[in-house]
Amino acid sequence: MRAVHYVNQFFAGLGGEDKAETPPTRLDGAMGPGGGLEAEGVEIVATLTCGDDYFAEHEQNALAALLGHLRELRPDVLVAGPAFGSGRYGYACGTLVAAAVAEGIPAVAAMHPENPGVDASGKAYVVPTAVNVAGMRDALPRLAKLALALGERRELGSAEEEGYLVRGFRRNYIAERTGAERAIELLLGKLAGETRTEVGGGLDRVDPPVPVADLSQALVALVTEAGCVPQGNPDRLQSVRAQGWFRYELNGEDTLASARYESVHGGFDVTLANEDPNRLVPLDAARALEREGRIGRLHEALYTTTGNGTPVVVATKFGREIAGELKEAGVGAVLLSGT
Amino acid sequence: MAWELASFSSNLIGEARVEGAEVEIVPPGAPVRVTHVLDAVEPRVRPDGRPAFPMDGKAGEGRTNRLDGVVVLSCLDFAAEERPLHEQEAIVDLGGPGAVHTPFADETCVVISFYAPDGARNEQLEAHARKQTLSLAERLAQQTLEAEPEQVEAFELGEAEGLPRVAALIQLSDLGPLYYQYVYGSPAGQAGLPRVVDPAEVLDGAITCGEYHWAAMRNPTVFFQRNALVRSLYRDHGGRLDFAGVVLMRGYEQSAADKQRAAEAAAARARELGADGVIITTDAGGNSHTDVMLTCRACEQAGIRTTVILAEETDPESTRPILTDWVPEADSIVSTGNVEELVEAWTPERVLGGDTLLDGRPAEGAGPIPVRNYLGAANQMGQLALGARAE
Repeated sequence: MRAVHYVNQFFAGLGGEDKAETPPTRLDGAMGPGGGLEAEGVEIVATLTCGDDYFAEHEQNALAALLGHLRELRPDVLVAGPAFGSGRYGYACGTLVAAAVAEGIPAVAAMHPENPGVDASGKAYVVPTAVNVAGMRDALPRLAKLALALGERRELGSAEEEGYLVRGFRRNYIAERTGAERAIELLLGKLAGETRTEVGGGLDRVDPPVPVADLSQALVALVTEAGCVPQGNPDRLQSVRAQGWFRYELNGEDTLASARYESVHGGFDVTLANEDPNRLVPLDAARALEREGRIGRLHEALYTTTGNGTPVVVATKFGREIAGELKEAGVGAVLLSGT
Repeated sequence: MAWELASFSSNLIGEARVEGAEVEIVPPGAPVRVTHVLDAVEPRVRPDGRPAFPMDGKAGEGRTNRLDGVVVLSCLDFAAEERPLHEQEAIVDLGGPGAVHTPFADETCVVISFYAPDGARNEQLEAHARKQTLSLAERLAQQTLEAEPEQVEAFELGEAEGLPRVAALIQLSDLGPLYYQYVYGSPAGQAGLPRVVDPAEVLDGAITCGEYHWAAMRNPTVFFQRNALVRSLYRDHGGRLDFAGVVLMRGYEQSAADKQRAAEAAAARARELGADGVIITTDAGGNSHTDVMLTCRACEQAGIRTTVILAEETDPESTRPILTDWVPEADSIVSTGNVEELVEAWTPERVLGGDTLLDGRPAEGAGPIPVRNYLGAANQMGQLALGARAE
């Protein structure tokens, strides 16, 4: 198994702050803490190093140069740090291991859990360390253990079992007991004063916006996740796990006639809704309000997607894109109908 | 009064024939993929002549016979023009990597494939298939009436004073046609829920499945008949807890006010049972999770401690929030797995139910399939052992 080790200029033995501008450099064999990793069985074929300031100030160039070395060296695993509590060093380690994993090279860094480099590490593993270099002796064996596992392509267990920081990815496993038995355990524990959970909650809570000051002056848009599309679904909007959203011009239409519109939503029985699509997107009522002058004007486009099994990240992206267009069009209020 | 469940050898399985459908008996361990699965039912019959899936409100009394290690899988390929708006693909892999996601891989599976005649509507087809499936499950167990059981279990709750009193709040879907769970033959929304039932009723055919939403989060009939939660609570009764009973409650209440009212009513039923704590189970996905969260909050506000069972729906590449809904009172949750994770590709030797998956892929060489398409894989009554954890 061949490992490449990344350290900053200080741990590579090139010098302290005065050498923090050192550009990316490749050295043969193990340097500094690399010796400790080798003592644990990690064979280091090369050490990559870069000055902390250089990396911070020329991130793109530094990363490109370091990845170039990695592509040449083709190691089984990239090890970075330990960076302890050092923010710049940790950030460089995290950014590099994340980029390595994106290129298919298994990678692990080590640093203090509060180091900003943890957030930069993406899908790579991070072994927690003490806040300063006094934690070196404790950190190296744990870092080496994970490096060996990754280098040997062993399937890793949970964060708790393997000693890395939780990245947040949820992975399935077959537990020793059924969910029912685990629920009884959790409930009896909670009744006895010890509350535990297998999954934490926490949601994006969207605060209601302040009311529109004067609707009679506002340009109002209709947006929906009801899967409402022109008959025949010309753009093939998905009925589940939508891949995108669509904008359909209303061209002054007064109503979403069932002969012209339908819902392709796959999350509920659309039979009744398709008899009158206005009940999904109330174009008829909005036009009446427009005629009565209670809303300024209706935006002449309907924005639609299917909200059914859509991952939160994807839905957030749709929302941002649609909001961006609406803002550009001067829309001041949105009627968002959900199902 | 105790209810007795008598188990009989699978050798007593009766003749499997259903008019207008193909029936095949698949031996344990056969490398078969079953597609378009609606429901799974354990063959049962009652020696006293009453129906195994009664409509009369009287399950959980007397004795019921069961065939051990046999399950009926009903499959229906809905007509294409109505299909995409309704049932989602539901698969049972009896071999390969998907076999860990089903309890049926080492059982004898009686697979009924129903076909859609021209012009037949989904609701008619579903009702026909559901009735025929329950009826076949009953016929398959007929021979037990003349045989000796291998085992008889008695279900009765004696005194268990001084132990923490625990109730199960079991959610049943009612989101309209094709999304109904049935209580004594009535859709959950018309069954007077929330209501207290004897736990034995759950195990004895009072609840049947007509809910064909997300396969992994579905509660097929057999998961009530063999309900792991109710059985575990019976087992622990008098040991480390006092099993207070079962409250059935509806999922997919349709308005915010109805959801709140139903949540408070379920908590009130739990209070009437004298529960110190409740386990709240979930049926299907989406807004039924909101019903569960509101019920959790209502119970906690009534001084009843809660544990919730539910599945996660997280993009495997994301570390973003993973629950459809959540309240801060839900501080004790069992995760029955992330339904978005992929199960490795597998090439079965045979496919039953239908050769083409609903997304158009050939069932034989479909490639990786998400957990969400495996029947009951992330069952939110905690029937199986799947879980999810942070890595």
